Amino acid sequence: METAAIQTYGLTRRFGALTAVEDVTLSVAPGQFFGFLGPNGAGKSTTIKMLTGLLEPTSGTMAILGQPFSAGALDLKRQIGVVPEGMALLGRLTATEYLHFVGRMYGLDRETTNRRTQELLEFMQLANENKKLVTDFSHGMQKKLALAAAVIHGPKVLFLDEPFEGVDAVAAGMLKTMLTGMINRGATIFLTTHVLEIVERLCSHVAIISKGRLVANGSIEELRAGVASTLPGAEQEQRLTMEEIFLAIVGADGQQEQAQELTWLT
Amino acid sequence: MADLGSAGLSPLGEAAGIHAGGVLGPLARAQYGALARLRWRMFQNSLRSTKGALELGARTVSYVIYAVGGLGIGTGAGFAAYGLASGNQWRFLPILFWVLAFLWQVIPIMLASFQEQFDLGILLRFPVRFGSYLLLYLVFGLVDISTILGCLCCVGIWIGMAFARPDLLLWTTLALAVFAAFNILLVRAVFAWIERWLAQRRTREILGALFMVALLSMQLLNPALYQKRHTGRGNHQQDMEQMKEMKARYSPWLKTANAVQRWLPPGLAAQSLQQTVKQQPMAGLGALGVLSLYALLAGGVLAVRLKSEYRGENLGVAPARDKATPGRSRAAASVAGRDLTNPAGGQMLGGSGPIAAIIEKDLRALMRTLPLLYAMGGPLLMVLVFSTIFLKNGGVQGNVFPLALPVCMVYAQLGFTQVFYNSLGTEGAGIQIYFLSPTPFRTVMLAKNLLHACLFGLVAMVAITLTILRLGIPDLAVVAATAAWLLFSLPCNLTAGNLFSLKMPYRVNPGRITRQRGSQANALLSLLVQLCILAVGAAVFVLGWFLDRMWLAAPVFLILAVGAVYVWRRVMDDVNAIAYERRDALIAMMMKEG
Repeated sequence: METAAIQTYGLTRRFGALTAVEDVTLSVAPGQFFGFLGPNGAGKSTTIKMLTGLLEPTSGTMAILGQPFSAGALDLKRQIGVVPEGMALLGRLTATEYLHFVGRMYGLDRETTNRRTQELLEFMQLANENKKLVTDFSHGMQKKLALAAAVIHGPKVLFLDEPFEGVDAVAAGMLKTMLTGMINRGATIFLTTHVLEIVERLCSHVAIISKGRLVANGSIEELRAGVASTLPGAEQEQRLTMEEIFLAIVGADGQQEQAQELTWLT
Repeated sequence: MADLGSAGLSPLGEAAGIHAGGVLGPLARAQYGALARLRWRMFQNSLRSTKGALELGARTVSYVIYAVGGLGIGTGAGFAAYGLASGNQWRFLPILFWVLAFLWQVIPIMLASFQEQFDLGILLRFPVRFGSYLLLYLVFGLVDISTILGCLCCVGIWIGMAFARPDLLLWTTLALAVFAAFNILLVRAVFAWIERWLAQRRTREILGALFMVALLSMQLLNPALYQKRHTGRGNHQQDMEQMKEMKARYSPWLKTANAVQRWLPPGLAAQSLQQTVKQQPMAGLGALGVLSLYALLAGGVLAVRLKSEYRGENLGVAPARDKATPGRSRAAASVAGRDLTNPAGGQMLGGSGPIAAIIEKDLRALMRTLPLLYAMGGPLLMVLVFSTIFLKNGGVQGNVFPLALPVCMVYAQLGFTQVFYNSLGTEGAGIQIYFLSPTPFRTVMLAKNLLHACLFGLVAMVAITLTILRLGIPDLAVVAATAAWLLFSLPCNLTAGNLFSLKMPYRVNPGRITRQRGSQANALLSLLVQLCILAVGAAVFVLGWFLDRMWLAAPVFLILAVGAVYVWRRVMDDVNAIAYERRDALIAMMMKEG
């Protein structure tokens, strides 16, 4: 049996009385483009933080590339790339300086760091911004830089927390091409995003988390078939979009809210 | 439909219905009220956590300390004012006002690392009038340490004068009120403009160069003014002759200085009272009027700066001016882009490992981080001030205080408080890299400690050089003891600093000197630790001095240094565990906005 790239068992995180993530068990196969979805506050970012060593789980176990993972698993961290929630940028550096720093923190030698920095900046169309500090970058530029930093060491597993937020259509297309290329070369990508169209286009498998609990997990086709089976006869024949699948699984509360109307808004 | 009114929210139509008015109009008043409630709620919410309660305790203690210090200085000022007024020594009154003005302007420089202020920049997204913004800026500034101390001194002078000359009560009140207003406005204007200038690389370099030129100029003046300082101890008659000679030499200078100071704010405040005593109320009123003009000028200079902020200028993102012309071709820009990635041109250190990477990164960030640059550079100015005081007290007799060198070093070290005790404060969201990368946190702290030790060594060398240039070469035993004390105090500070940085960090806004969020608990406790280190140092120095065995101090400090290094190593061994245990709190603190 093939070793899972990402494996969790009973992953739980509590903040005082609040249980942000509860008993999450999932498995991501190597080479999979895995979408991790959920409404705001469902526990997506908390799960990614635990999977990348930024947050200690209250209970449960995790394994990356078949090895138990914890914050101190430094060798494993070399295999992981992350675009975290806050992007982990250092505002007082230029993009070049920042990528040099990150490359060396991941143990790359100076020559490799320099070469990859240049290639990444050109690929991300940031090479002309070398005089600007990162703090002066637009949000989209910062996202591109964060992604460049996440891949500079050539990770086998990539965790992306909302990587397309604020990125223009041209750059988003470019990033999608890059990520698909990584998948084709055997990397595993764990993606959270609210743009369900991207999930539908890129991901082969999806898990949905709601109120801290995993409520769906499987390939997109499996989820589609599962949701369709709950619909009346005629609607079962329609091909459901990812948005319809998502809303069918977690959207009940949201639909009630939509019934209200803010009449004072012009 | 949602019943927003009953939920405590005002429909937008109602909010829009509040008449805007002026800075005291209905909308402004509603905004002041909202802001006061916000501050109150923030205060209440901060008490929900242990850290918040600790912060409140630290804040209370620190304000009690400031209040006691302020009352002490204020009482002194009161007695001085009483003595001058009752003894009819009005000609010396300007000295009192000059001392007060000096303290008022210098205390913020000394305490820049320990102050926490509310950043009003968050208000700019709301429909706040500029007048309201300015008013709030000044009102929030009233809880500033320098203002509290300065105002307590003014109250002291007022009471002293009231007892000595109750007939001058009205004039005293007026003069002190305008003088206080001038100082409050000036100190804010100076800081606001310094922040602006230091935010740009070009002006930062120019100011740095000016600072160095000023330091060198003072050194050149030094031998000219005090050439007879090292002639040795003379008898009383010789001293008196020397005094007379100096008086004769400097008399024209002093007269000119006196004439000039009369037209400057402290002199004007004193003059308004002097003229009234001389039964010349119109002249007194004139002096008060000119003083008011100075206050208005300071306010205007401040308003000009705040207006830019109000229009949306963000000092945190003030970029270095890009020399690229608009018409520059994309290809040319692309080539320029490659220049920086050139290994020969873009890197500062030779090593390629994480330690070199962190040191290089921190050094770059440091050069672009105002509060740290300011905190490290400011004390050098104070070293000059202290050395001048020692020089004035002992220079004439050729008998400078023998422990002047260590005292100057102490202040140079205080400038590193923020650097040592909040070493992760400028990382912001970037702190996550340390937890994501395969570099152990111990390596991160080791790199930071190495850099900070080198920087401290550099500043200490500059401070020692400045002190020696000002005061001459002290006794060799004192130099050795001072160097040994630095070897002891450095690992002590690094050890405590590592623990504080991990357990009590706060985010530093790299673009601001003032209006930082800060942490009173960190500031107070770090000061406490430093005082303990100083107390140990002082005890050894003073013992050596009294017993006339100063040569013993250096070995004692070296033994203590060995112990301090051992403790530092032990703490470094625990750094990984502490950092990983507290990583979510550390990340949350560094990503905190506003």
